[in-house]
Amino acid sequence: MNSNRTTKTFLPRIYLISSGEESADNNKLLLNQLARLPRSLSCMVQIREKKLSAKELLSLALKAKAIELPEGTLLLMNERLDIALAAGLDGVHLPENACSANRLRPLAPQLIYGCSVHSLSALRIAEEAGADYLLFGPVFDTPSKRVYGAPQGLKKLGALCQQTSLPVFALGGITLKNAPLCMAKGAYGIAALSLFQESCRFVDIIEELYFNMNP
Amino acid sequence: MPSSPFLCVITDETLCPLSLAEKSLKGGAAMIQLRHKHASGSQLFLWAVEILKLCRQYQALCIINDRVDIAMASRADGVHLGQQDMPIEAARKLLGHDRIIGITASSLKEALQAQKDGADYIGFGHIFPTSSKKKESAPLGTETLRQAATNLSLPIVAIGGISHENAASLISSGASAVAVISAVSRATDPTLATRNLLCTIQKSLS
Repeated sequence: MNSNRTTKTFLPRIYLISSGEESADNNKLLLNQLARLPRSLSCMVQIREKKLSAKELLSLALKAKAIELPEGTLLLMNERLDIALAAGLDGVHLPENACSANRLRPLAPQLIYGCSVHSLSALRIAEEAGADYLLFGPVFDTPSKRVYGAPQGLKKLGALCQQTSLPVFALGGITLKNAPLCMAKGAYGIAALSLFQESCRFVDIIEELYFNMNP
Repeated sequence: MPSSPFLCVITDETLCPLSLAEKSLKGGAAMIQLRHKHASGSQLFLWAVEILKLCRQYQALCIINDRVDIAMASRADGVHLGQQDMPIEAARKLLGHDRIIGITASSLKEALQAQKDGADYIGFGHIFPTSSKKKESAPLGTETLRQAATNLSLPIVAIGGISHENAASLISSGASAVAVISAVSRATDPTLATRNLLCTIQKSLS
């Protein structure tokens, strides 16, 4: 495992979140994506599969961990530190209503702890809890988040980035076209689910995205 | 593990687990299992910390259902894992041997496997028909419980459809403890219901 400092200094800028569509019978989606990650680029990858039981999640995480990934790629588990540790993953991503990072870090100081934030007040809480990075969204309109109301927009992304020295990943409705706009607002990187679902263009999309982001 | 026979109260999804835990501890429950499938991680953690404090006051054990991470963060006494939760070997590595791991088994085969894998107790059931959890399989009955008790060296915590009327038969069939949800949570006086259940299972031994 990489040392604490190294991993935190060099967080990858592209952040892939699993589809949420994995099932016990078919968990090829994420594994296929992982196997096809371009060798030249590192990614953050969050396993976020709310429909799976803990047993199934651990099984998926172990399979993901067994794949040879591009150097610097970091595997994270949504919320469940226990599963991240059992599978030897690199970190945990904590939703706003998860157990706080400062409660978990003493149990595994070597891991990366990321936090979702949807407001400036949540940003303060995440900073106080010692988050290593933030996910902010939805920046743009995305079908899965419409029930929560209008997207946050680029302006709020910019305001949040100005308020923190932590790396902020912009999430929600990200496309190859709007990714550079997020970077211009101060985002450290971009995070997406559906952008990476188009399996036939998966590699091209990641490479083009990185080129467009021009970090 | 508490000395046999003891009573485990599992929190009710529809009620505040803190007040239920306190009321059942007052009545003599030796184990509280925090089980709340829909609560957020932050809420579970806060509840776990508070229930653990209460359990310390009453010298009882605080067990967390499914969430090994919450058990670790709150320093609870252990976890209770279903067949779809984290496998026991993985949980044991994270929790060590000082913490309790209970496993749900709904057949003798599952119970024997859990014992082999290093569980500290077996939650065996459901013994009687139950309304607290949706069940597809038929109740195991006291005869299967008796077989399990004969074949296992681990303490068996009988669960499922337990009431004041049938609790004694479980202990006489070899269970070390009984676990209840609604028999305590839905009682007008949960403390009294706990006390009565405890009295019943203690009498069944003498």
